[in-house]
Amino acid sequence: MSFFTDFYNKVFSFFKPQDTAENNVKDVARSRLKLVLMQDRTNLTPKILEQMRGELIDLLSKYVELDKELLELNFEQEGDQVALMLSIPVIRAKDEKEIEEAIKKDALLKGITLADDEEDDTEEETGTDELQEETDKDSEGNQDETLPQETSEADENGESQAEDTENKNSDEENVQETV
Amino acid sequence: MSGRVIVITSGKGGVGKTTTSANIGTALAKAGNKVVLIDTDIGLRNLDLLLGLENRIVYTIVDVVEGRCKLKQALVKDKKNPNLSLLAAAQTRDKSAVSEEQLKDICEKLKKDNDFILVDCPAGIEQGFQNAVAGASEAIVVTTPEMSAIRDADRIIGLLAAREEIESYKLLLNRVRPNLIATNDMMSVEDVVELLACDLIGIIPEDTGIISSTNKGDPIVNDEKSLAGQAYRNVARRIMGEEVEFLNLEEDKNFIGKIKDFFEKTIKEIKAKI
Repeated sequence: MSFFTDFYNKVFSFFKPQDTAENNVKDVARSRLKLVLMQDRTNLTPKILEQMRGELIDLLSKYVELDKELLELNFEQEGDQVALMLSIPVIRAKDEKEIEEAIKKDALLKGITLADDEEDDTEEETGTDELQEETDKDSEGNQDETLPQETSEADENGESQAEDTENKNSDEENVQETV
Repeated sequence: MSGRVIVITSGKGGVGKTTTSANIGTALAKAGNKVVLIDTDIGLRNLDLLLGLENRIVYTIVDVVEGRCKLKQALVKDKKNPNLSLLAAAQTRDKSAVSEEQLKDICEKLKKDNDFILVDCPAGIEQGFQNAVAGASEAIVVTTPEMSAIRDADRIIGLLAAREEIESYKLLLNRVRPNLIATNDMMSVEDVVELLACDLIGIIPEDTGIISSTNKGDPIVNDEKSLAGQAYRNVARRIMGEEVEFLNLEEDKNFIGKIKDFFEKTIKEIKAKI
């Protein structure tokens, strides 16, 4: 009996189209379209999505230690509603102390970047090219001037430092640098 | 009598708007409704060809709005079905020859003594589209299971949803090829419906009979044996409010599929015996 079914399966796996990612044209078309339609509908460019992702990582890292590489931000269709789906692989939850520290550090960082911006504005008048570019970026990116700069700093940290716990120290270093 | 004005639109060209208009119009008329088809593709008229009426057109929609004839004079009656008539587009003018207000006015007048007014919309999202949609309160969005057609349909659905006068819009999926869906080379009906998040009014299989029906100037709904004709007749019944199940297109299996089915059957029989 098993001989029959084995033989049958062997013969027909030969004829069957292989369901690999490459062969499955339909799925490729569907996922490409999904992305394009979401961009058409929401006017969110890949650049803005990337920025959104960076800011979300910053926010969530205060409370949990997460796998930044595997964090996924996607759009899903539910009926005629578009939903933003965030999948966050959590490595471990932070304890109260760590969270408190992170919030304090965040507040400190915001205070400093605000001061930093003011400095930029005053120095702009002196006319250094680099500083002008920086302030240009800030004003086009977001109404809240502190946000884009904050994320770009955090991204740099994420790349240079693999360990989340060591991030705080490096954050502080980085802040000092920018000041 | 107050007829329903339905616009047939797609965004992308060549997906079958005009074929759909001709067939749904004919099917509705065959079912006993008074139907007027309006071709708003001014400069690129084709609906007359699909209905086989190209030699009977004396006045066009542009003649009506410019006052050279009365609206009734410009309506060309179908050869087979006196319930069906066509208001043809002008071939020598462009989309700016008729305005939104003028089209709205024509639709209002036609509503009085017809059950259905079907407006065949030109491709694109410019003035021609705006004109065609102006008088309508319902829409049928025609698309095929292809990337560009679906993307354009999504744009059209967005524009229709933003219009208050459009009370409902439904999707008609045209040129579906079950054998390509079976081999995962084409998106399935479910995939398209999920992507566009729009209710279906019809699934039309790809049918080579469409070519010869166009060549003859006789819509495929008049061919009782054609599967596409059957699908279009079902769409007309759904428009009239009937609940009709969608055709099962999957039985159209290829050769290997048929052999496989045969073997599966025999294996089951052997198993049952053991």
